Amino acid sequence: MCMRCLELSRRSLLVGGGVAAAALTTGTAQARVRPQDMQPLIGPGFKPTDRDEQGLWQLMERAEEEIAGSNLLMNDPALTGYLKNLIGRVGGPAAQDMRIYLAHIPEFNAVMFPSGFTVIFSGLLLRARNEAQLAGVIAHESGHFLRRHMIRSWRDQKRKSDLLAIGSMVAGVGGAGAGVYLGDYVQLAELGAILSLFSYSRGMEAEADAMGTRLIAEAGYPAAEMASVWQQLIGEESASARYRGKRRRRGSLFDSHPSPDSRMADLRASAAEVTIPGRPYDNGRARYLNAIGPIRPMMLDDQVKLNDPGASQYLIQTLAQDGWNGLLRFYEGEIWRLRNRRDDDDRAAQSYAAAVVYPDAPADAFRWHGISLLKQGRSGEAKQAFSRYLVMKPDAPDAPWVRQMMG
Amino acid sequence: MRKWGLALALAAAVPMGGCVQMQQYADVQFTPPQGNYKLLVLRPDVTVGSITTGGMIEPRADWTEQARTNIVAALRAQQATQGGQVLVVERRNELQGVTAQELADIERLNSAVAQSIVLHKYLGETLPTKRRRGLDWTLGQDAVRLGQKTGYDYALFMHAEDQVASTGRVLLGVLGAAGCFVGFCAPNIGGATQLDYASLVDLKTGEVVWFNVVRAGSEVPGIKFGDLRTPQGAAQMVDRLLGRMKPGQAVRQAAARESR
Repeated sequence: MCMRCLELSRRSLLVGGGVAAAALTTGTAQARVRPQDMQPLIGPGFKPTDRDEQGLWQLMERAEEEIAGSNLLMNDPALTGYLKNLIGRVGGPAAQDMRIYLAHIPEFNAVMFPSGFTVIFSGLLLRARNEAQLAGVIAHESGHFLRRHMIRSWRDQKRKSDLLAIGSMVAGVGGAGAGVYLGDYVQLAELGAILSLFSYSRGMEAEADAMGTRLIAEAGYPAAEMASVWQQLIGEESASARYRGKRRRRGSLFDSHPSPDSRMADLRASAAEVTIPGRPYDNGRARYLNAIGPIRPMMLDDQVKLNDPGASQYLIQTLAQDGWNGLLRFYEGEIWRLRNRRDDDDRAAQSYAAAVVYPDAPADAFRWHGISLLKQGRSGEAKQAFSRYLVMKPDAPDAPWVRQMMG
Repeated sequence: MRKWGLALALAAAVPMGGCVQMQQYADVQFTPPQGNYKLLVLRPDVTVGSITTGGMIEPRADWTEQARTNIVAALRAQQATQGGQVLVVERRNELQGVTAQELADIERLNSAVAQSIVLHKYLGETLPTKRRRGLDWTLGQDAVRLGQKTGYDYALFMHAEDQVASTGRVLLGVLGAAGCFVGFCAPNIGGATQLDYASLVDLKTGEVVWFNVVRAGSEVPGIKFGDLRTPQGAAQMVDRLLGRMKPGQAVRQAAARESR
């Protein structure tokens, strides 16, 4: 139950012309789930009583222990406290029961585990432009837990695989008894079962989106921000694909999640439904920037090193819609410098020059600004930039080298 | 999860017959612990599940608890016959003088090393540098420090998983067997399977001195190979896994020379 899981190998699932036949019965398009229909299915302090769910929870105990002690986790108490507080606001009846972990993984994703703990990837904190957007994703994950999606989809899989196994066996034995070969029908049924599992999974995601919209609106966030998250993601994926000369992947029958496009459209409609006219909604942007401020340079650094200039540039442009600053300008320069195509050094130089004007410019901006100036033969200005770098970062590992460059 | 990856790799490696298979490796200088030794058993990793009619594995909390209790009891009884003192650590924070994080690190290190042992000893990717050298892996100084801090001589890591065919699965197998009479013979749809492995680390040197994998399984549902939910089944498993430790090659050769 994650925001965007890895897609299964679709090719391995394609079985002849059965796709077309099965598509008629399942279809990709699904009706929107309405937020008002989304009642939490569990209350505070929920503990499983059914045998299969107890088994699942026990398995998750070790998984959580493993994740909680992982060295991929970011354990800064201010930041984890902030996230805990946030899930406390949008977690509905289970707000006090759920646990939240932050993993240092530069990807846009979040995962909810069956026993009520969630892992947020740092790439999500980089992309969210305000607290409402992050709260929206957390609320979506809470929705999975509140609607008991893991055990429901487990039971769905179990039922379908049982039916399929019995059906195939009966078809085999019965067909052999009657002297006909039913193998093709069994394959078709198999495909139908697989497609219906994916369709079920997309249905759960749609539920979690609707539940999430409702939760953040009740907590006083503008619900439309959840749709913006997807709008930004679509933009980022398109930019990344365009840069690589490819087309962005659209949804298919074999997706576990609805396509970002349909999610965005549904979320827009749901947001309008849950918004009460006259009630003030706050996106909590200042609070958010304050909380993630200390790790923002690190997250930007992770992003530009992913070697995806199309996505990185789109991301920085998007974040800059809320105003440019020294940090964003510096990393814009880093994208060009690392891409290193024709004229990229000029682009990078411009960004570094723009970065150092802002009061929040990082020390490295002055270093690279200095190097760019040196290349242009402006050694006097370069010297100033370098000395500023050394003042800001006296223990820099390359300090002797920089001093030598200053002459 | 890494541990499952290992289990899956092992499951794929050992061909599925209706049988019990064991394969152990030891350091060439290994002598099975005897007499007055202290053994630390780190969090035996036990899962028992039920195979649904459709072939999915449904984890069962009650069966797992039962099996864990049985295995720990069987392990204590088995070690007592060798004369060893045993401490079974169930949680990471239970070991005096060692933090939960340190124990987690050791467990993860062992998991990585065990993965390498499985790859190069069980999956056929033999290493020329380790040919005819028995089991030549180590957890290094971290394990030595654990020994110094706790005063234990050996650490034992253990994994056991058991899957019991549900009634539906057994009936499906019966139907498949009945089909043999009309020409659609499918009794071998896969039944109970058990996979256990253990590694023994010498905390004086940090070396992995002994490693064993036991796999028991049947392609025909309904046939059982020692059920971990019963004390007898657990004792049988512990005996298969740990009861037949062989000394290393060099030690065996020396013994053979002496007896000549």
